[in-house]
This record gives sequence, structure tokens and C-alpha cells, in this order.
Amino acid sequence: MKKFKFSFNLVLLLIWAAIFVAIAAMAPTFLKPDYIINTMLRNIVEIGMVALPMTLIIITGGMDLSVGSMMILCAVFGGSAAAAWGTGAGVAVTILVGLACGLINGLIIAKAKISEMVTTLATMYLFMGLSRGYTEAGSVYAYNFASWMGNTEVLGLPIQIWIYAVLAVVFVLLLHHTAFGRKLFAIGLNSSAAKYSGVNVEKIKITLYVLCGLICALASFIYLGRFSSVKYDSGTNFNLKVITVVVLGGTSIVGGSGDMKGTLVATLIIATLNSGLTVLNIPIATQTVVQGTVLLIALVAFAIMNQAKSRRRGAPKSAEPKSVS
Amino acid sequence: MKHDRKKNLTTEFYLLVFLAVVLVFLGVFAKGFYSINNIMSILNVYSYVLISAIGMNMIILTGNIDVSTGALISVVCLVIAAIGKLGATFPVLLITAMVVGMLLSAFNAFFITKLKIPAIVATLATTQIFQGSLTLAVEGSIYDLPATYTWLAFKAKVFGIIPFSFVMCVIITVIALLFMKYSRFSKKIYAVGNSTESARLTGINVNRTVFLTYVIAGALFGVSGVIVGTAGQRVTTTMGSGLEMTFIAAVVLGGTSTAGGSGRILGTVIGALILASISSAITYLGISTNWADFIKGAIILISVLVSALRTVKRKRSIPGKAGVQAS
Repeated sequence: MKKFKFSFNLVLLLIWAAIFVAIAAMAPTFLKPDYIINTMLRNIVEIGMVALPMTLIIITGGMDLSVGSMMILCAVFGGSAAAAWGTGAGVAVTILVGLACGLINGLIIAKAKISEMVTTLATMYLFMGLSRGYTEAGSVYAYNFASWMGNTEVLGLPIQIWIYAVLAVVFVLLLHHTAFGRKLFAIGLNSSAAKYSGVNVEKIKITLYVLCGLICALASFIYLGRFSSVKYDSGTNFNLKVITVVVLGGTSIVGGSGDMKGTLVATLIIATLNSGLTVLNIPIATQTVVQGTVLLIALVAFAIMNQAKSRRRGAPKSAEPKSVS
Repeated sequence: MKHDRKKNLTTEFYLLVFLAVVLVFLGVFAKGFYSINNIMSILNVYSYVLISAIGMNMIILTGNIDVSTGALISVVCLVIAAIGKLGATFPVLLITAMVVGMLLSAFNAFFITKLKIPAIVATLATTQIFQGSLTLAVEGSIYDLPATYTWLAFKAKVFGIIPFSFVMCVIITVIALLFMKYSRFSKKIYAVGNSTESARLTGINVNRTVFLTYVIAGALFGVSGVIVGTAGQRVTTTMGSGLEMTFIAAVVLGGTSTAGGSGRILGTVIGALILASISSAITYLGISTNWADFIKGAIILISVLVSALRTVKRKRSIPGKAGVQAS
């Protein structure tokens, strides 16, 4: 099992290297360090950041479709608060909104036992609708803290890349080197069994969604700073991009297996693909199709791989878990 | 069984009461809501919401979901606009739309049944593919469409006032009600939704059932697409964006469990009416339409919560069951 995982990450790395070399061969401008740092890496940070808690959530068999709306809602309320009461209030409101949104998701999912999909699909529209209603479909502008988060360089790299790097290390350790991480796998494999072996499933689920809300709040500073203004619909498809990264990284969409390092490599792959397509002057619409196709291919590949694996083990052909419906 | 029937009756009963309260409230506070013009325009919206919601209801009954419906309808709109530009008449448009709907829905079903990808993720991905290829195929919009194309929206009125789309909606609803009550296939849908494994063990071809359900639903989405697409002389690439949420909301509001296996068309009929009148009601109440998404989201969330709390209460006698189902 260990060996399999290792080789899978290696395959991902090879895929990334292949894409990178191919694009660099077609467009030499792509290889400039400035382009790699300031376009390729800087543009993926928000997605990469939210993909970290999303990996944890998907490993437990859950899903959060509301991440994009949550991030925009944080930016909208934070930006408005900063405009009215100053930067301190803006930062506080952003974080509070993120925590509150995550708590709403977590409570409904864990306590009322409504499926993750339905809950977060509804809150996705709820949060987006709130941003839209509150701003009257107008824009919210960046304030000094957000601009700082989006546009500062520290030791030659944009600050958000440093933040992402630190978070990535923390999340790798959290998932693979703590008891908390093991419990997530247990919940994903069989939540009833986990519950009866003493895992507080409800509490962990709520924690995860709150954590996801918090990271969305953090990402919202960077997003607002980078674009200097947001509208209620800026976060459309953000959820899909995040899920694409996680699934591409080898985390099973039905829960129970996954690898944080895979998510990190997948983030690199998507970053390279996105900026590469831009360098090659391929229109945005094609990029959308490519994104959807990449997600589908990743899903199909894992489905086939899982089928092969269970056949090898001689396990009985079981029905698809219902949790995903 | 008897217990079950009683439960379903009460779901629809509560909904009816809610609907009645809302309608009375609107009568008192929303001036002009009950004008003939507004009612007819609501009926038109109701038609396409309900037709699609019936399809969505069948899909959700099997325990799956389809979030690509909005993009699917956008594709249907553009395809019929393209042939409408050449002067195709309504029957041709309708048949084309149904075929396109069925094909795209079969595409979704292929990933779900053959490749075993969870429905929500598969349809999220196909949403991107549908929407992305549209923008590639068409630059912005198709416009200056002939009168033969917009016949349904402007000319087709029964007794000179009732939109023909509503007649189509009534016919489809009646067929659906009978189909879901008496056909063998509908029993298979419920069986698959209740437990894929036991359905398989009783000899039901699960994959075929789910596949056919998607195809039937696709045809219904196509019919909806005709109503949405022929509403004006200009068809853009985002005609259907976000509609899937309204359909899912109508189904969930109608008391269908998103875990599959329980729910009836009658609930959807009422749920769709509530959702179809929201936008118009908001306008007549003097609230900015910018709040429409928020109100829709809130209604879905509250209705899901209410039905879940009732289920949890009922299932308390069977420990562990509720947790397993919802996890």
C-alpha cells in the first residue's frame, strides 16, 4: 500500500514534468522565473490553499461546494467593514464570517444529518445570494491589509506563496502524522465503525467545516488583494477548481483514501496547465473545457484503478457507497 | 405502507398550507401580483420549472442528482436557435430539443453508471464541458430569430390568453403522475433509490434503470429548454445557467428525499409553483431581485432541515440508521 502511494505521487510528478516541458518547449517565455513566480504560482494560491482542508473533508467522505461563495462572502463583508470602520474591523469581520459560514455548514451536516452535497449546494446559493443582495450586485474594493496580502514580496517571493507553503506543511503533518488525521480516514472508510470505536464523528466533521471556512477567509484576503475588487459572482466555479485539484491528487471522491502530497502536486499540475494555456493564447472557454475534461479523466482513471484493485484483492463486488448521492 | 402513505400525505398537506399562506400574503401585500398578465407569466415560468423538476425528481428518486441541467438547457437553447434561424417550425424544434436533451443526459449517465463516478461530481464536470463548448461554438449569442421560432412565446395562446407551454406542462404532469403510479419502471426507480444492492439482488438491472431515468429526464429537460429558449428573439450562451438549482429546490421542497427512494410527483408540483412565483413575488413586494438567490437558498435549506428533523425523529427508534443514511 505504501509503495503504491509512493509510485502514484511519482506518476503525478512525471505528468507535471511532462506538461511543464511541453509548454516550455512551445512557448519559451513560460520559462522566465518572473512568469513562473508571479503568474503561474501566484494565480493558484487561493485554489491550492482551499484544496488543503477540502482534501481532509473529501477523505471523510464529505464535500464542500460552498467554498467559492464562502470566500467571496468573506471578502464582501470584510471589504465593506473595512470601508466603514477601518482595517482592523475588516480583518475581524472576514475571519468571523468565514468561521460562521463553516459552522453553519458543519452544524447542518453533523447535527441535522443532511447530506454534504445538498447542504453545501444550498449554502453555496445562500452565501452567494447574501453577497449579491448585500452589495446590490456591485463591487467591493480592497483595503490596505488585503492589498498587502495580495501584493507583497518577502525574500523574493510573493507573501501568499510563503503562507501557502507553511499551510501545506501543516496540513501534510496534520493528515499523515497525527491521530486526528487517522480518524479522518476511519470516518471516510466507515463512519459508523469509527463512531463505535470511539471517534467523535460529529465534532470532527464540524471542526473540518469550520477549518475550511477559516481557510476560505484567509484566501479571501489574498483574492481581494490580488484583484483589488470582487463581485458576488467572482467565486463561480471556484469549488469545481478546488475539487479538481483534490481528485487529481489521488483522493478518492467517496472517501477513505487520499494523500495530501498528491494534492500539492496536483495543484502544481493545474497551475502549470492554466498558465500554460494562457501563454499559448488559448481562449478561456477552452480552458474551462480542459478543466472539466481533466477532472473527468482523473475520476475515470481512479474508478478504473479502484475496480482493478478490488478485483486483485478478490473482494466481493460491492455496491457503490450511497453517501455520495 | 399505510404509515408511509400517511407521511407523504402530510408532507404535501403542509406544503399546500404553506403555499396558501404565501398566496394570501401576496394578495394582501403585493399590489398587482394577481393581475392577469403576471399570472400568465408565472404560469409560463411554472411550466418549464415543473417539466424539468419532474425529470429531476425521477433522477433524485434513484439516489442520484444532476447539477448540469442548467448548462444542458443552455446547449438545447442554442441548438434550437441555430435551426430556428433556418426557419424550423415548433414541432421540429421540440423534437430536436428532446433529442439533444436525451443525448446530453445519456452522456452524464454514461459516466455515472458505466464508470461509477458519483453523480454530483460527474455532472459538475460535464457542466464545465457543456458550458465551455458552448462559448467556443457560439460567439456571444444568436439573434434576429424569425417569428416561426418565437411562436411558442408570442402566438401560441389557448383561448387567446393561456400560454401553450402551460398546456404542455399539464399534459406532461398528468402522464408523469400516471407513469409514476402505475408503471413497472417507476417501481424499479424507487427500488434502486431505496437500496442499490437489494434492487440488484431482486433482479433489477440497476445501471439500465438509472441510465433510462437520465434519458427520460433529458427529454423533459429538452422540453423545458424549448420554453426557455424560444422566449425571445435572442439566445445567449447562458440561458439556462443556475436553473438546475431551482429544479432541485422544487424537488426537495416537494418532499423528495435526496438520499433517494422516497418522494412523489405531487409534492414537486406544489414545490415548483412556490419556486416559480418567488422572483415575481419579490419584485411585486418591492424587494430588489438581487435577493432572489438568497431567498431561494434559504427556502431549500429550511425545507431540507424541516424534513430531516422529522426523519430523525421518526428514526430514533432504530438506532444508528439515520446516521448511516446521512453520512
